[in-house]
Amino acid sequence: MTVTAESRTVELDPRRNVPGTRPGFSATLRAEWIKFWSVRSTAWSVIAMFVIGAGLTTLICATSAEWLASAEADESPGSFITWGMLLAQVTAIVLGTLTVTSEYGTGMIRATLAATPRRGSVLAAKAVVLTGTLFVAGTVTAFAGYFGGNWFFANEGIGITLSEDGVLRSMLGSGLYMAGLGLLAAAVGLLIRHTAAALSIVLGVVFVVGNMVVLLPGAWGDWTAKLMPGNAGSSVATPRPFNPVLLDAWPGFAVFSAEVAVLLLLGYLVFQRRDA
Amino acid sequence: MINVSGLTKKYGDKTAVDDVTFTVATGRVTGFLGPNGAGKSTTMRMVLGLDRPTAGSVTVNGRRYRDSPAPLREVGALLEAKALHPGRSARDHLRWLAASNRIPTSRVDEVLALVGLEAVAGTRVGKFSLGMGQRLGIAVALLGDPPVVVLDEPVNGLDPEGIRWVRTLARQLATEGRTVFISSHLMSEMALTADHLVVIGRGRILADCSMPEFIAEHAVSYVRVRTPQRGQVADLLRGAGAEVTPVDDELHVQGLDAAAVGELVGDKGLYLHELTLVRSSLEDAFMTLTSASVEYTARTRTDPAGALR
Repeated sequence: MTVTAESRTVELDPRRNVPGTRPGFSATLRAEWIKFWSVRSTAWSVIAMFVIGAGLTTLICATSAEWLASAEADESPGSFITWGMLLAQVTAIVLGTLTVTSEYGTGMIRATLAATPRRGSVLAAKAVVLTGTLFVAGTVTAFAGYFGGNWFFANEGIGITLSEDGVLRSMLGSGLYMAGLGLLAAAVGLLIRHTAAALSIVLGVVFVVGNMVVLLPGAWGDWTAKLMPGNAGSSVATPRPFNPVLLDAWPGFAVFSAEVAVLLLLGYLVFQRRDA
Repeated sequence: MINVSGLTKKYGDKTAVDDVTFTVATGRVTGFLGPNGAGKSTTMRMVLGLDRPTAGSVTVNGRRYRDSPAPLREVGALLEAKALHPGRSARDHLRWLAASNRIPTSRVDEVLALVGLEAVAGTRVGKFSLGMGQRLGIAVALLGDPPVVVLDEPVNGLDPEGIRWVRTLARQLATEGRTVFISSHLMSEMALTADHLVVIGRGRILADCSMPEFIAEHAVSYVRVRTPQRGQVADLLRGAGAEVTPVDDELHVQGLDAAAVGELVGDKGLYLHELTLVRSSLEDAFMTLTSASVEYTARTRTDPAGALR
């Protein structure tokens, strides 16, 4: 057995390395940006959004153009031009959830909070990176779907121009809605901390519950349907919704944003208090 | 320098860390020793501001961890090797950490070389062995060239060469004047690495002393005597002021050395079948100290002869 001798103490300024001021939000943002793009799931989610969103819109426009141009059509082409985004929502939800839950699932959250102890900054940086990416991806996807689908509409003489009522708004609205959904999923992820559970809840609320409450009777049922996050938020992403009961684009998006903000605030409060 | 003062952490009615106070001084390696579940990791998480203490406080270099402008430049920590995303490469993991504290990116390759992971820098860490993960964890700890280094069970999963490397590294960091705080549940490891020991069991501090003090105080030695005339010999030795404990067919004698025992017995013309000086190892000292505080105990008979090392 060896006992090492007391080492000679060398004076080392404990703060020699430490700057006087904090690295600032841009450093946290940069760290989250690197983190976000250095796992494969991010690129795959964005690619999936584009393929599903733009691809399915083009496909449904191609197959419905002839019917929409005929006299028996009882829907507007405007309801079809962002149709693929309804399914592309899944990718935004997956990406939003993973941004948070993958940190908890792997224990990475401890490394994150050791590097940046101010949790509000971490959450804000994550939100900026996530919503920025989803807004751009959602908008680009919606435009690609529009150009793809409209080519078939134009061939049947029912083409829609970007200047038509609500078309341009629905392109940017698609980006906004994707960003909001991602944030909603991230907030739920922050509360639940478990990928599968958080995903099931968000997908369930947006796709299953959101569509089932439409069947509820009376004014109470109507309002429940209008206020469900997926129903309230998606109006802004389409020039003319299929379901006329839903809230108008901007009022709907305001309701949706408020819902996201409440969940995010709850998530933030829990995040601040919780042991990592 | 780390100051832990009255630190307490309760989970419901279970107390994981119970009013713990100690100081980790600069320029030496302080071993944080305790059985699994003793509260080591919980204490270290509170040092890093990850867990909120129920009571008490921790400061690093005189301020709370979260008040440091750039904590990675002040405190480097290896918490768990698994605090990594399996899909991210080692270099990317270090890159985002460096960015968060504005540490130059060139430092990433430096620490990768330091821990011997340059060749696998671009490999996803999910493919890493436990030992490689541990090396990456140490690279993370050293990234900000911090004056305080906190390593939670750093030798877990390392091969003998890796264990020796960590030992040398810890000593070197201390010699450079850094504060080095290492937890382990292996006394034998700490005996080789630490200058100072803080022993914890069931959330309480059981010892806080230098390694030589710990040995003097807790590593007992006694003379083992085997004789066909146990009663007579025992009385004789007790008469000479020794403390005699009969164990099976042996007598354990404390207070007299082997020579004195042999001479006393020889003078009376009694027989001796064995006369051995038994010095318990640090491991045994640690076991004795913490036995009351081990949460889960496996019932195995330990061989007292194994104590001789």
